[in-house]
Amino acid sequence: MGDYRGLNVRRDRGGCCPPMDLMRSEAMQLVRIIVPVESAHLTLSYLGDLGLFQFKDLNADKSPFQRTYANQIKRCGEMARKLRLFREQMAKAGIAHSEMAMTQTRIDFDEMEIKLGELEAELIEVNSNNEKLQRSYNELLEYMLVLKKAGEFFYSAQSSATAQHREIEARQIGDGSIDSPLLLEQEMLTDPSKQVKLGFVSGLVPKEKAMAFERILFRATRGNMYLRQAAVDDPVIDPISGEKIAKNVFVVFYSGERAKTKILKICEAFGANRYPFTDDIGKQMQMISEVSGKITELKTTIDLGMLHRDNILKNISYQFEQWNNLVRTEKAIYHTLNMLSLDVTKKCLVAEGWSPVFATSQIQDALQRATYDSNSQVGSIFQVLHTKESPPTYFQTNKFTSAFQEIVDAYGIAKYQEANPGVYTIITFPFLFAVMFGDWGHGMCLLLATLMLIFREKKLSSQKLGDIMEMMFGGRYVIMMMALFSIYTGLIYNEFFSVPFEMFGRSAYACRDPSCRDATTDGLVKVREAYPFGVDPKWHGSRTELPFLNSLKMKMSILLGVAQMNLGIILSYFNAKFFSNSLNTWYQFIPQLIFLNSLFGYLSLLIIVKWCTGSQADLYHVMIYMFLSPTDDLGENQLFPGQKTLQLVLLLLALISVPWMLFPKPILLRKQHNERHQGQSYTVIHNTEESLEIEEDHDSHDHEEFEFSEVFVHQLIHTIEFVLGAVSNTASYLRLWALSLAHSELSSVFYEKVLLLAWGFNNIAILIIGIVVFVCATIGVLLVMETLSAFLHALRLHWVEFQNKFYEGDGYKFAPFSFALLADEED
Amino acid sequence: MGFLMTTIIFFVVGVVASVSVRLCCNRGPSTNLFHLTLIITATVCSWMMWAIVYLAQLKPLIVPILSEGE
Repeated sequence: MGDYRGLNVRRDRGGCCPPMDLMRSEAMQLVRIIVPVESAHLTLSYLGDLGLFQFKDLNADKSPFQRTYANQIKRCGEMARKLRLFREQMAKAGIAHSEMAMTQTRIDFDEMEIKLGELEAELIEVNSNNEKLQRSYNELLEYMLVLKKAGEFFYSAQSSATAQHREIEARQIGDGSIDSPLLLEQEMLTDPSKQVKLGFVSGLVPKEKAMAFERILFRATRGNMYLRQAAVDDPVIDPISGEKIAKNVFVVFYSGERAKTKILKICEAFGANRYPFTDDIGKQMQMISEVSGKITELKTTIDLGMLHRDNILKNISYQFEQWNNLVRTEKAIYHTLNMLSLDVTKKCLVAEGWSPVFATSQIQDALQRATYDSNSQVGSIFQVLHTKESPPTYFQTNKFTSAFQEIVDAYGIAKYQEANPGVYTIITFPFLFAVMFGDWGHGMCLLLATLMLIFREKKLSSQKLGDIMEMMFGGRYVIMMMALFSIYTGLIYNEFFSVPFEMFGRSAYACRDPSCRDATTDGLVKVREAYPFGVDPKWHGSRTELPFLNSLKMKMSILLGVAQMNLGIILSYFNAKFFSNSLNTWYQFIPQLIFLNSLFGYLSLLIIVKWCTGSQADLYHVMIYMFLSPTDDLGENQLFPGQKTLQLVLLLLALISVPWMLFPKPILLRKQHNERHQGQSYTVIHNTEESLEIEEDHDSHDHEEFEFSEVFVHQLIHTIEFVLGAVSNTASYLRLWALSLAHSELSSVFYEKVLLLAWGFNNIAILIIGIVVFVCATIGVLLVMETLSAFLHALRLHWVEFQNKFYEGDGYKFAPFSFALLADEED
Repeated sequence: MGFLMTTIIFFVVGVVASVSVRLCCNRGPSTNLFHLTLIITATVCSWMMWAIVYLAQLKPLIVPILSEGE
């Protein structure tokens, strides 16, 4: 579009007023830097420290693997992986690494790579050794349990067997018959053979599988087995899985080889660990002492191993942050180096990018330092290019203004050098919030909360906070402004947790006579001048409070809304003046101003006149009949002499301004375009080749077509939007009234129906409960929910009603190559 | 205190605030203008709020009618 020509020409605005911080984005320039290859790395490192250069990707058509430095990036990726492994290990071992780099010595990149590789190998080895040792340790523990418990089985079985044996002997002695010895002999003969074939398996089985284990053993051996189980009291660490499982010690007796194989397979299937056991008591004791010896040995070995590992990790932790930073910056540098294009001679790299004009000397300084430090023969070349591309938008904000700028940016980044609504948002946003929040008690609570955040700023900014806390901390200055304004509007609405105070003088209202008979029927009378600051305290709790306050707040919303919208239109004038767009000034700004003010500016005037004169005129009636029957006599709705003629004039002005906004601009644009092309057509004939070359890589506006219908429709939409928007946006400001009413009603309900009710019972317990409920309700509903609600609506009023009068918001943000920003991105 | 008097007080407070900000943090003409804009905006907003509420109570059309049991 022919609207915005010569974006990069510095405007000399010394005329009316000097330039204002933050009002327009910084002047940017497209810069080409030619760097010799040997100093490229160092140059980028210094530019990254500076953080004021946004590189353009000159190799956009190449895939990541085709780029020059893909290998380096792979190396960096490997190192980053190793560092992540270290971080995991440190977290598992519970060793914290310091957030700040402890030493500032420069480390060589290749050295670090080797060192990281060594450390990783060592760590992996130590870990696997540890695992093996731990496994053996757990097995030995289980073996110990088996030895103890199985020993008990055999001991008890032994004792019962000897008891039975003695019984049989006693019976034998008691019976003493002749033919029994043969039978006995047979028994005794057969017993040893049976004893020889009886085998047993001992081990541990998980308690939950014990029943199934027993059942399957029974079925598999057809009942020819004897199983003894005993539960282990504490859960045991399973050697294979490493988890704590409740287990049972079991001993299963069987006879025969086939039974043995079956039993072994079943044990494997159930994950029952088997351990050898001897039924010789002497050997048992020996085994027990051996195993306990081994256990203590292994424990010491394992502890030593852990100590060794912890030492390694501690050494890593001292340098971890520094290494991390180094790997991150190197990776970023190589990514950026990949964006530079290699010159045909392969001796230098060409970089293109945007940088602010004020940073020119700093960048040249960094280039010189890099040349010197890298002992390069050739210096870098710094060249400013001229282009018609739209530059990125860069606002220099400090910690106070950055939050407000983010609020504006969330809707849309400002176009290059257009007026920044952020300047006014710093004040009007908290102000409109406060109009909807208006209670100085709540305002003070908000202020206390946010002052706590602000005083602990330094400590909190280096910590890692949760999501919600992060948002609150980021917006602490916004909340502070909101709280300050809330205290002010709270004093004006005269509400302290919905209780009014008579602080600024005497109330204007008093009873008609000393007995106050008519107070509840006819009401009080105004005996003095109006209450000097804010709403008169006598209104609160009266029956006519709502009609009065509603009328007051609605009219206030209209007045504030018209004021803010006018400010928006005036900002559009400043934009038009800055970009030397006289079309916008004459055929957009002026008719818009006239239209809005002849209707809603006039309404505001009527409101003020009605207040000043105390007339009983009905403003709805006046406004509606201004349109329906403008020539009618006003009668009792007359507020000032000459009102009828004024209304007629304003109506005519409003009617004229609509076609004034709609028609001239597209027609004049077409005329301008034709004029420009008239002049151009001669040059095209003379030197076709040259003109084509000039336009090769930057957008050219000469080739664009001018579609009159498109432009006209665009203007039509803009006009309709403005005209209809004038009514709807003004009505939209009534949300200021609505939320303010909701807040004061909620606050009043909590006060009267909770606190006063609890007070009325004269019981200390009920009073305490009442206070607790009141505090919780105030914090939960009023301080959290209402704050968010009013915040949202104030935001909407700014984004839509204020900004659609002048803000384009289709720019893109300046994203420089900066190491400081990298650190933020990682988190 | 009348309307005019209080308006003058607001104006004076605004002037005092801008002077004190200029004295305490004087950081170049563009930043000074920025601070001045903020203070003017704040003063105008606060004054508007006060003036609206004051004017609405100058010649009221309704009076407080107390509710029962006051």
